[in-house]
Amino acid sequence: MLNFLKMLLTPEFFFSIIRISAPILFATLAAIVVEKAGFCNIGLEGLMMFSALSGSLISYYAGSWVWGLLAAVVVGVLMSLMMGFFAFQLKTDITLVGIAVNMMGSGGTLFLCKVITNLTEGNAMASTTGLITKSLCIPDITIPLVNKIPFLGGVLSGHNLLTYFAFICCLLTSILLYKTSLGLNIRAVGENPNAASSVGVSVLKIKYIAIGFSGLMCGFGGAFMSMAYAQGWSLDMVSGRGFIALAAQAMGNGECLGGMLSSLVFGFAQALGIKFSAIGLDSNLASPIPYAVTIIGLVIFALVRRSREKKRHSSAGLEKAAAAAK
Amino acid sequence: MTKKREIIFSLVRGLVAICIALLVAMLLIFISAEGATFAAKLKATGEALRQLLLGPLFRMGKNGTVFEFKRLTDILASMIPIIFTGLAVCIMFSANQFNLGAEGGIMLGAFTTAMIAIYVPMAAFIHPLVAVIGGGVAVAVMMLLPALLKTKLNVSEMVCSLMLNYIIMYLIKFLMNTYLADKSKGQIQSYEFLETSKIAPLIDNGSKLSWGFIVAIAVVVLCGLFVYRTRWGYAIRMIGINQDFSRYSGMKVASVIVLSQVLGGFLAGIGGGIEMLGRYKTFSWSSLPGYGWTGITIAILAGNNPCFVPLAAFFMAYLTKGCELMATYANVPSQLIDIIQGVIFLFFAAEQFLSGYRQKLVVKSAQEELARKQAEQAQEGGALHA
Amino acid sequence: MPDEKTVQSGEQYVVQMKAITKVYPNGVAANQGVDFNLRKGEIHALMGENGAGKSTLMKMLFGLEQPTSGEIIVNGEKLNLTSPSVAISKGIGMVHQHFMLVPSLSVAENMVLGMVPRKGLFIDQAKAIEITREYAEKYNLHVEPEAKVMDIPVGMKQKVEILKALVRGAKILILDEPTAVLTTQETTELFKELLHLKEQGYTIVFISHKLNEIMQITDRLTIMRNGRSMGVYNTRDVTKEEISRLMVGRDVVLTVQKEQAQPTDTVLRVRDVEYVNEWNKKMLDKVSFDVRKGEILGIAGVEGNGQKELVDMLFGFNTPNAGSITVNGESVIGLSQQKLRQLGVSLVPEDRMIYGIASSASIEENVISDRCSDKRFNKGPLFNMKAIHAESDRLIEDYTVLCKSRKQQVGMLSGGNIQKVVVAREFSNDPVLILADQPTRGIDVGATEFIRKKLVELSRSGIAVLLISADLNEVMELSDSLIVMHNGHIAAYFEDTSALSDDVMGEYMLGLKQQPEEEVRRVCHD
Repeated sequence: MLNFLKMLLTPEFFFSIIRISAPILFATLAAIVVEKAGFCNIGLEGLMMFSALSGSLISYYAGSWVWGLLAAVVVGVLMSLMMGFFAFQLKTDITLVGIAVNMMGSGGTLFLCKVITNLTEGNAMASTTGLITKSLCIPDITIPLVNKIPFLGGVLSGHNLLTYFAFICCLLTSILLYKTSLGLNIRAVGENPNAASSVGVSVLKIKYIAIGFSGLMCGFGGAFMSMAYAQGWSLDMVSGRGFIALAAQAMGNGECLGGMLSSLVFGFAQALGIKFSAIGLDSNLASPIPYAVTIIGLVIFALVRRSREKKRHSSAGLEKAAAAAK
Repeated sequence: MTKKREIIFSLVRGLVAICIALLVAMLLIFISAEGATFAAKLKATGEALRQLLLGPLFRMGKNGTVFEFKRLTDILASMIPIIFTGLAVCIMFSANQFNLGAEGGIMLGAFTTAMIAIYVPMAAFIHPLVAVIGGGVAVAVMMLLPALLKTKLNVSEMVCSLMLNYIIMYLIKFLMNTYLADKSKGQIQSYEFLETSKIAPLIDNGSKLSWGFIVAIAVVVLCGLFVYRTRWGYAIRMIGINQDFSRYSGMKVASVIVLSQVLGGFLAGIGGGIEMLGRYKTFSWSSLPGYGWTGITIAILAGNNPCFVPLAAFFMAYLTKGCELMATYANVPSQLIDIIQGVIFLFFAAEQFLSGYRQKLVVKSAQEELARKQAEQAQEGGALHA
Repeated sequence: MPDEKTVQSGEQYVVQMKAITKVYPNGVAANQGVDFNLRKGEIHALMGENGAGKSTLMKMLFGLEQPTSGEIIVNGEKLNLTSPSVAISKGIGMVHQHFMLVPSLSVAENMVLGMVPRKGLFIDQAKAIEITREYAEKYNLHVEPEAKVMDIPVGMKQKVEILKALVRGAKILILDEPTAVLTTQETTELFKELLHLKEQGYTIVFISHKLNEIMQITDRLTIMRNGRSMGVYNTRDVTKEEISRLMVGRDVVLTVQKEQAQPTDTVLRVRDVEYVNEWNKKMLDKVSFDVRKGEILGIAGVEGNGQKELVDMLFGFNTPNAGSITVNGESVIGLSQQKLRQLGVSLVPEDRMIYGIASSASIEENVISDRCSDKRFNKGPLFNMKAIHAESDRLIEDYTVLCKSRKQQVGMLSGGNIQKVVVAREFSNDPVLILADQPTRGIDVGATEFIRKKLVELSRSGIAVLLISADLNEVMELSDSLIVMHNGHIAAYFEDTSALSDDVMGEYMLGLKQQPEEEVRRVCHD
């Protein structure tokens, strides 16, 4: 037991938590902004799959990760806008749109992968791992000075470019929501769309922007999956991160900081699972840990929220109100 | 709008949605078709499309296109599991519960049934019955988790059920790998089901069409009755339309929400069980089978009405088979089905799709109504004068 | 009489709406060939019953809806008003009946929403507050810029709404039933502000169906009925009776005949109920009253003074922090709606579209929702369809629900008929206590009359009725005795309503007056 704890308290372990959290954080930010705009995009999973595939393919064809990242982002945004078209214009239930995108993101990406590789490479491949080399991946960055700090250097330095970017995005998203007029509009649309439209804020436009933003974040998340987390795309590689992000959004109370902490919790759960399998636990028992943690996390969050409500709804609440009145 | 116009509109809309999906499919087939020239590609596309649209029922050989009974029974056989997941999703979605656990549910049902079929000897007739019901009960219990979390703590049943899918898949894989696999075989599979547990084939022609199909149709009828002719089904539908209204009316909303998911789980479970005992000799699934997702498409196509589930299931089974044939004979990856499914899904569920056409019909109806009323008034006026 | 002469007298119209027709996707023709004109600097009343098409017409002028045919000319320019932003840019502003405010944002943020002052990339909060102050002073409309909208009173919310329109450069203001939620005193204040605006050259459309207000403040009026315009008149040239006839097409006497109440045993007993809402605001403060068999107890008061919270407590949607509620001696706090209904409590909910009906279900499915588990309607596990058909046909007939058949979707019916469906269900399952929360809000005269008569009839047959209504007329006419709520507290109890005047009521409703505790306590018949 002590040995195991020792194994955990290494810079590598904390490093891996951050690394694993990054794609979840991207998706969580997507979920947060969309939720603020008043709806729920459950298609994050599928969006990330499409972005992951297109990122790795374009990176290979263009011979540069920059183009790959760009492609992933563009595909993510375009797909999400298409979702918006169905949900907002054709009035398809947004949940169903999400399910459809997830369906296509699963088998459909494999179809595209096979077709595209068959056309270009001459044989249909079921993944792009054979095409992507280290140089086609998004680079890792060593932070000078920080990397010299004992322990902390090992945790914070040497991450992938996109890992840092994920945490920067968290800050940027928070600023976007609370300090800019776009953020004000997004929150207004989410809370009272009629109020927003009555003052000339185009609800439709704001909703498109919000869902487009979710596509953008999923683009980064997908690119991270196929060009940083793993080398290349493979079937169902996002494996539920899009859904976990929805849970992280809820657990973070819909705010960026809370969402980030929740993402880190899931990162921790998964890193723990990996460690467990490293010391001999069956991988089939270690793999479901993050999913179980998601459910447990949601339950704890709900319990906390409820006890808070109960507290307010007691005689203590009456006294507080009396005090406030004075 | 008159009933007749309403029906015409739904039909036209459904057909157009399917046509769009097929057009998208055609485009994708064309892109993936082999051939150096445009003409060659076009020819290959045509061949692939023929496989997709006719292949599931007709043999295409030198003697031309001939209907083959065996192919029909194959399709009917593949309808069995998706009828059950379709029904499961229908009932859960009717209550507005976006529980997506039918996927994990059918795997757990299949697994549980398989275990009973292997390890619990019983008399011939009772064995499959007990095994299948055992599968159903196992999934019903599993669905208690998202259902209770939803009603007690307002935890999203969707996220919870999705997570459960993963957990169940890994746990079953773990149990199979570690304890239950027949080590004498090259791949990971269980021991063979006991002879007593098998569900007999309906037609002995090598297709896997078992009595399970009859059971499926019977369950469709039962579900139809349940949803439209019982107080529980009524409560499920009302809760799906307006939960506040249902609570205010004095329905036990929480219990009914739990009921809908547990029942959905039970249906998915027996679907998995029947599929196991009717089609296979051993349990060898190592990943989620995808029937749960198809079930969602079917529920959407059927408009959450259990009575239309067999039709939708036939359509999906037909398309799936067509895609498989295309993969074999025309080298188009079979996962095309997922894209077709997605596109149909999107357009079918689109309320505003063809709304312009609908608006035209409505205006026409309103004008006719107005004209009729005026005519009546004129008549009345005439009568008064007389 | 139509003043065709003055209309043609060459004055410049700021707005002309010509031959406007609007057909909704559900087939309802809300407007048919309506003409509507506005002169610069007038207060113009748009009158009509609920469902006459006033709101639809104004929504088209504000770009929220588009006409199926017809044209709109503003300041001589023919416009295609595709969205509110187009309307706003043409100087048209609208104050909606339901406030278009975002509760969690501040007053200033609500003011500048859609036209946010910026400092670089960011919102300039200081500037937003300054703008709000400036406009508030200029138009003499006092608001608190930094307060969150959810914390300010209704009257101030309305001022924020008017300021919002003004700050966007509106020269034409559409006010949709602005006085519906205001007290008499607040209304007077609003009218002063409106006249002030008129003097400054603003044009105001005043949607209302309150005759006294119209006569008091407007210059001209347009009357609508069944989606058609019944003509334009100078307010000083018409009498209330004429307007009333044009609006409803007959002389409606809304006085319901009722005999003296003979109240007996107490059914509902409420004692010292207190409730603190989620923002730690005390919504109910020591509320106590009794409702007895055979009487109608009215609860009057401006909306938002605790009535909604009280109804929630009485029908099990919420539990009080302190106090007791009993029905026929049995405590009902924490009981489910199912249990409450078994005790014979029924509720005509304030918002019929949320609680009253499942709009995409049929009439039949809606009228049996509270009794679907009854033995009468079940044969073993299955429904007894024959009995259900018979029950729904009976209710449709008894309550004169105008429909094609019991299979028709409830959502397709008119407001009045929807409310009749709700009432048919709530009144017909042998209740001992009926809670009627705004039972006739927003429905046509015929249905209103029908429902009011039914309420009196039921109370006289020995049912206890609690009537909560913001409609002063209704609550004063129907109630045998009434209490007034202000700020979560019972401000007054009147044992006999016949001698009450509006003015006295207004003073209690606004909290200018408060009866001593002993007087209020008389409502508890211990």
